[in-house]
Amino acid sequence: MVKVYSIPNCPWCEKVKKYLKLKNVAYEEFNVEDSDEARDELYKISGDQIVPVTTIDGKNYVVSFDKAKLDALLGL
Amino acid sequence: MEKQHKYLDLIIIGGGVTGLTAALYAGRMKLSTLVLEADLVGGQIVNAHEIENYPGFASIKGSALVEKIQQQAEFFGAAIDEFDNILKVKLTDEKKIVETESFIYEPKSVIIATGMTRRKLALPEENLFLSKGIHYCELCDGHMYQDKIIAVVGGGNAALDAAKFLTKYAKKLYIIHRSSALTADVLTQENVIKNPIVEVLLNTEIRKAEGKNVLETLQLYDKKEEKEYALPLDGLFVDIGVVPNTAMFAQDLLCDSAGNIIAGEDCKTNEAGVFAAGDVRTKVIRQLTTAAADGTVAALMAEKYIGN
Repeated sequence: MVKVYSIPNCPWCEKVKKYLKLKNVAYEEFNVEDSDEARDELYKISGDQIVPVTTIDGKNYVVSFDKAKLDALLGL
Repeated sequence: MEKQHKYLDLIIIGGGVTGLTAALYAGRMKLSTLVLEADLVGGQIVNAHEIENYPGFASIKGSALVEKIQQQAEFFGAAIDEFDNILKVKLTDEKKIVETESFIYEPKSVIIATGMTRRKLALPEENLFLSKGIHYCELCDGHMYQDKIIAVVGGGNAALDAAKFLTKYAKKLYIIHRSSALTADVLTQENVIKNPIVEVLLNTEIRKAEGKNVLETLQLYDKKEEKEYALPLDGLFVDIGVVPNTAMFAQDLLCDSAGNIIAGEDCKTNEAGVFAAGDVRTKVIRQLTTAAADGTVAALMAEKYIGN
């Protein structure tokens, strides 16, 4: 399952989610503002607090919205 | 695989308030209309926490206003694509070409509404504090700093105007400028500097922005004294110039020395059927309301051009 780490009212997070929906990619969203657990997970993945971060395996990830990188990550 | 050609009345390049307003008007005039946006639909304003100077709304979030205009444009039939990037354009012939990653569009008319990008601070940690202490719009965000310590970085007229505006909120305001003298005109400088809460830090570079969740301190470097020191503060407004997003069009359209596309109130460029609207064209005032006004004019002019 694709995981998207995000915060509310974040336009780039919205853009990533919009793109995943357009491409019919199911994803699970983790709000790092509300959840310490999600924030810790995000930090483990990217070593940072910047959102959005998209990942499948927790190792390879894409920061912000980058269509080419997302396509490569998700095999689109 | 060869790309499919698509024929339509109007392509609007840029989906900020200008482009969306143009799309709304074009849609209502039954022009087949596509908006292509490379970054965020809504443009710079989508990041605004609170807009209080757009008629009809006492207060509205930038993203909410954008959503309303986008819905209005789509309701009237305009299409908006924020995922198909433009690769090249050819605007010099009657047959205009806008080639994206997926299609080759041949529109009868083109409106360029790509806006401006504020020149960014060369600080890697800037994104961490964007809207959390580092801001690019004093009109939008200044009110968040009532009785706080803030700084403006920049030394030109725009920076000094921003500083003047911000003095009505701040209890202390620094102007940080890397050169030995401000470049704003003397009268503007005098108007700002006479205010006792203002302190000008010349020959000063910002080396680092620090804070836990929000900006708390700037590490500054005094080039004259050759010393680094920490400046605690609540907010920093960046006004070190703007860059029009016109690189893609510079080969086809006349631009001024700052890179703005040369076009008058009618939004006409040097190429028939190509219109420049909003912040991207040569103009004096750049506000949300003038962006919407330009979108209106450009769409009406495009319709007139297509009709002829």
